[in-house]
Amino acid sequence: MTSLRAPARPPVGGSRAARRPLRRLDGTTLSHYVISAVAGVLIVGPIVPVVVASLWTTPLYESGGEPTLANYRALLTDGAWWSAVWNSVLFATLMTVGSVVLGVTSAALFTRTNLPGRRLLAGIFLLPVVLPGIVLVLGWSTMWSQAGFAATWLRTNTFLSVPLDLYSVPGMALVGISVAAPVVFLFSRNTLVAVDPALEDAARTSGAGPVRALTTVSVRLLRPTVLNSTLLIFVIALEVLGLPLVLGFSNDIDMISTYLYNNWTNSSPPRHGLVSAGAVLMLLTVSGLLLLRNKLVGDVGRFAAVTGKPTGSRALDLGPIRWVLSAGMLALLSVMVLVPLAGVVMAASTTVFTPFISPWASLTTANFEAVFANPVFTRALVNSLLIASVGGALTTVAIAVLSVIAHRSDFRFRGGLQQSMMWPRMVPGLVTGMAFFWSVIVLDPSGAVRASLWAMGLAFAVRNLALGYSAFYPALAGVGRELDLAARTAGATYWTAMRTIVLRLVLPAMGASFVLLFVAMLNDAEPAVFLVTDDTPVLGLTMLQLAATNIGGNVAALGVIQMVITLVVLGVGRGLFGVRPNA
Amino acid sequence: MPELEIENLRKSFGDNTVLHDLSLTVPDGQITTLLGPSGCGKSTTLWSIAGLHRPDSGRISFGGRVVFDGARIDLPPERRNCGVVFQSYAVWPHMTVFDNVAYPLKLRKVRSARRRERVLEVLGLVELGDHVDRYPHQLSGGQQQRVALARALAHPPDMLLLDEPFSNLDAKLRDRSRDWLRSLQQRVGVTTVFVTHDQDEALSMSDQVVVMSGGEIRQIGTPRDVYENPADLFVADFVGTANILDATTLAADGTTATVRLDGLADPLRVPHAGTRTGAVSVTIRPEAVHIVRAGEAAGPNTVTAKVETVSYLGDHYRYVLRLGGARLVATTTRPVDGTEMTVRLAPGDLRLFEPETTPDHEQEYDDE
Ligand SMILES: Nc1ncnc2c1ncn2[C@@H]1O[C@H](COP(=O)(O)OP(=O)(O)OP(=O)(O)O)[C@@H](O)[C@H]1O
Ligand SMILES: [Mg+2]
Repeated sequence: MTSLRAPARPPVGGSRAARRPLRRLDGTTLSHYVISAVAGVLIVGPIVPVVVASLWTTPLYESGGEPTLANYRALLTDGAWWSAVWNSVLFATLMTVGSVVLGVTSAALFTRTNLPGRRLLAGIFLLPVVLPGIVLVLGWSTMWSQAGFAATWLRTNTFLSVPLDLYSVPGMALVGISVAAPVVFLFSRNTLVAVDPALEDAARTSGAGPVRALTTVSVRLLRPTVLNSTLLIFVIALEVLGLPLVLGFSNDIDMISTYLYNNWTNSSPPRHGLVSAGAVLMLLTVSGLLLLRNKLVGDVGRFAAVTGKPTGSRALDLGPIRWVLSAGMLALLSVMVLVPLAGVVMAASTTVFTPFISPWASLTTANFEAVFANPVFTRALVNSLLIASVGGALTTVAIAVLSVIAHRSDFRFRGGLQQSMMWPRMVPGLVTGMAFFWSVIVLDPSGAVRASLWAMGLAFAVRNLALGYSAFYPALAGVGRELDLAARTAGATYWTAMRTIVLRLVLPAMGASFVLLFVAMLNDAEPAVFLVTDDTPVLGLTMLQLAATNIGGNVAALGVIQMVITLVVLGVGRGLFGVRPNA
Repeated sequence: MPELEIENLRKSFGDNTVLHDLSLTVPDGQITTLLGPSGCGKSTTLWSIAGLHRPDSGRISFGGRVVFDGARIDLPPERRNCGVVFQSYAVWPHMTVFDNVAYPLKLRKVRSARRRERVLEVLGLVELGDHVDRYPHQLSGGQQQRVALARALAHPPDMLLLDEPFSNLDAKLRDRSRDWLRSLQQRVGVTTVFVTHDQDEALSMSDQVVVMSGGEIRQIGTPRDVYENPADLFVADFVGTANILDATTLAADGTTATVRLDGLADPLRVPHAGTRTGAVSVTIRPEAVHIVRAGEAAGPNTVTAKVETVSYLGDHYRYVLRLGGARLVATTTRPVDGTEMTVRLAPGDLRLFEPETTPDHEQEYDDE
């Protein structure tokens, strides 16, 4: 007997007529709503007061006032603003072009040729990515400014001299290149290493020489990577504060970031409305550029992690010229990385650092002692360590919780949650800082929150959310969906399944994410600019403020301390969780 | 153990409707297999039962307990008390075999002594008593699959749901696992839904087979029913292999039909319930094609055909014959010599399908 049940026909109007039923609103769903709402308010919400402040006649901490466009008018008719914009664009262009050229060239040289010592060279090249940027800037100015140690030494002892004034826009761009080129290098190396060697072999068999095969096939495949990093570096160059503040100081070269900084901190009364208007314009520009990047390259670049199989691709034989190239590279990297870093260390450990007195004769620990004796420095150090450790840990947990909701639930708005976790990447650090400044002022006029470290910590956490998320997400994606579904069917509630299975399996990635957050939050300066009070100095900003006005041994000592903590934490992180520098 | 009842289950992903008003009863304590080609909605059905995603409408109940009913009831997976074995096994890599199996018991707050006893009992059942303290990466694929099964059986569940549990095993192991699972299920007596796209698996393991295609049920029946009396051409073709031949019905009275087959001199009389005349499809299983040997009388319903290819498959031979414009596959254990052979198509082995056996379905497809 055949027992066929005739399936009932769908109701008239077709399947689309069936209304999607309401989701169950149980405890789990409720927790998703609450957590996501809090996250949304903390991540995106603070921008609102910045916009309001830019459109308001009086600062938000004073009562009264009315809507106005005067702030924008004042900004756009200020000649100083336009010269700052011009300087920023020039600086960003030079820095971007230089970084891309140097980054791509060295990626090709270090990954695809038999250049002698390429691993060591790559290691040196990458140092600036892991070190606090301001330390390298300090090193450059100690060594390569016209009055710097190395420049003076060259002038006195050889026929060479430093052709470029460091305290000019091109000079600053050069320093910027030493920090940004390794980022391009990381991106390009990942792409080059992943190129299937068969593609080049195909070119070889159709008659191309090895160099031609490399340039026509692999380097061409780099195009999206290059586009991606070009826009990224350009954006970083537009928003960076430390570099122009330290190097632009003596010649009064203003860029957008320093223009905003100076109008806030050094003008009296502070022009809060004007600076807020500038911040809004900066946010719009940067977001526009990053959206353009996402549109052009797709989302692939967003979660670019440093992985890749080092085998597979073959090395191009450069012949005897490789020794010359290798020596040239070493010389270049010495100038750009080793000499400046040595300069910081030497400046920190000598009483006077000039070529006219042997450094060995003036060795001292006095600078370090002075740092530890100065309450401002120690307080900054303690504050930053607190923010980095406690804040880093809390942020790591927050990222983990938000990520599982965003990627492991039926939560209705999980797409929006994913977007808002990436959103801080679009916001310049200065703007994040200002956003929290205004929010705290509006919500807590007493100033108690701002005087505690919480406001600062929160701003740092939000600012670095996307960084931690990018490091964490690939591991989460690697945990099969069925692993947590199996726990659900075995009887676990949503959060039990997440806690006992998913988060347990991604624990190493949480560790790695914590290490990256720790380092970033320890050294971050920009978000602190507007938030800082006398009670809440932080390492990055203190360094920056000091370095902008003097290049003494104390600043250098502080820089060395910052550098040592960073390297130790990264070293431990690498040993424990396999943390690797991430662009 | 309760029986499982599904009524008018509908599920779509965006604009893509994956399940069209599915209705199905899985009898208490039996194995029911969902069989169908890839993408027909088997896993979707299983996941709906387990509560892992939410159907658009319909009703699912375990015994008297309604676990899903449209917008009104939707128990989360942890409250449905199912045991699920996933295609990937989903054995938790950070837990030992023991901890994997103990997990559902821990969640149910079973006391530790009792828990240990139960875990060892279930692990004994799947013959993994010696591997309690191993980690999953120290186990073979077959052993992992048994851990997953033990974990699914531990609580114990009201309903055992298996999604192609054998698809990652090699052919030999798969055969053994089938027999073993079948006898295990009979001992435990748990109501079981088993998903597969492998017809041998479906036929050999099930009490009841549900043949699906395009998100709809084509036929529900015992393995024998489904194989011998397929409800439509799709089932005939998908379950086992079938020769499908074009033919014309000359006359049909509701019990038998007179059918003219291309290449055959005389019309055949085939048992058939329809009364329509005209173009039809006739099917016959390759093993039912009777090869007339030398010395045997040809008799009625025979035809002589040219041999196109012969292949040797170890336990049988497979002949592809040309019959007019059609091809006919015949299998036999004894080889036949020569480039031609005479075969007999016994009316009892022939099935007749009118072109629109399932007009509802066909039309629906045309609309989409
Ligand atoms: N999460 C999803 N989102 C969108 N479409 C889906 C999703 N899951 C399944 N589908 C679609 O639903 C249909 C049925 O999928 P299902 O997994 O149930 O098939 P299946 O019968 O289990 O196939 P297989 O034998 O390949 O596992 C497929 O067409 C598939 O593309
Ligand atoms: Mg499936």
